[in-house]
Amino acid sequence: MAGADDESKLIERSLSGDPEAYAALVNRHQHMVRAVAFRMTGSFDDSEELAQEAFVRAYKQLGSFGGASKFSTWLCKIVINLSLDWRRRESRRAGIHASWAVEAMSEQGPDGGFPDELSRRVQVALDRLPVKQRAAIVLTIYENQSHAEAARTLGCAEATISWRVFAARQKLKRLLKDLPHEQP
Amino acid sequence: MNNLELESLLKRARLPEVPGESLEMFPRRVIAGLKRNVPLHPAAPSRFRFLAWAGGLAACLLMALAIGHWHGRREKETMPPDILASAKLVHEMLAMFPNRVRAIVEDAQGVNLVLSQDENVPPYALLYVRLCDGQHCSSFVTFSGQEIQVAGQKVTALADGQGGIIVTGNQFVWSSTEGIYAGNHLTIHAKTLGPAAM
Repeated sequence: MAGADDESKLIERSLSGDPEAYAALVNRHQHMVRAVAFRMTGSFDDSEELAQEAFVRAYKQLGSFGGASKFSTWLCKIVINLSLDWRRRESRRAGIHASWAVEAMSEQGPDGGFPDELSRRVQVALDRLPVKQRAAIVLTIYENQSHAEAARTLGCAEATISWRVFAARQKLKRLLKDLPHEQP
Repeated sequence: MNNLELESLLKRARLPEVPGESLEMFPRRVIAGLKRNVPLHPAAPSRFRFLAWAGGLAACLLMALAIGHWHGRREKETMPPDILASAKLVHEMLAMFPNRVRAIVEDAQGVNLVLSQDENVPPYALLYVRLCDGQHCSSFVTFSGQEIQVAGQKVTALADGQGGIIVTGNQFVWSSTEGIYAGNHLTIHAKTLGPAAM
């Protein structure tokens, strides 16, 4: 893969305090981190904030990245766990867990900035999942992690992930049943 | 809609477009945030950090020992809380698989659902049982009469007509009302969770 060695070098240079190297790592992975944050929050502004927080957290912990997993997997773990913590903080602070995502989306205009109706409906459905089920779907569907990898990311048993994915699928099928679907 | 169709639908969903300017500026914003919050040497070791880390580790070890000691004593006296003690959660799980849940088992591996192939599990009294061997605990929720594999043996929990519960395994028999326990070193707690809400 173009850049695996290059990435190791960028990490080494970042560890020695080179901000340009870390900026290059951020640039390389920002799409993935922003996407995970957005799927988890349903809000453009909050996902920006979370993505930035994730990269700051990653930098602080960069010394502990041993290369046992891919750097992107390690980053994904940071952003998904930050999203879970953020969600808990938000729901405690505002007490509007259920309606929050819809409000956040309306701040971005009537279509929430989505390119089409299907994309908007899917995000609304994701927002209606319990947050741990949503995390399981984001990791297994959008980040293509196996149930075992997702379990390591979220620090729980593989069976728990399987259960959450199962429960999330049932709910998503109900919420999205009127959308046109086709055999892949 | 089957799982493949759902997955395809989810993957067709695109995200709102991020303005190019935001993408370009983002790495700079992160670096600016770092300069405000973190010295730009993330892995630089320092004596102070090492001492703080060692002190923290020692405090954690002491706390873990104290909690372990306290928990060990408490285990003998009361039933510690666990996920399956939540009747609401259990009923939600049961409602998702009507007449198919033989048991929900919680042990060191996590929570596992034991399902029947068909919808043929009779909704007799719903029972909660917790087995502890001094080091490990397993708990499960099941319907009266189901035989399930837990704590390394086949276990059956039965409700009698008077609200009592009998738990039998390969190596023990226990009764809530008779105070009978014939077997090895297990500590057993059981209670009725009421009729299954299907």
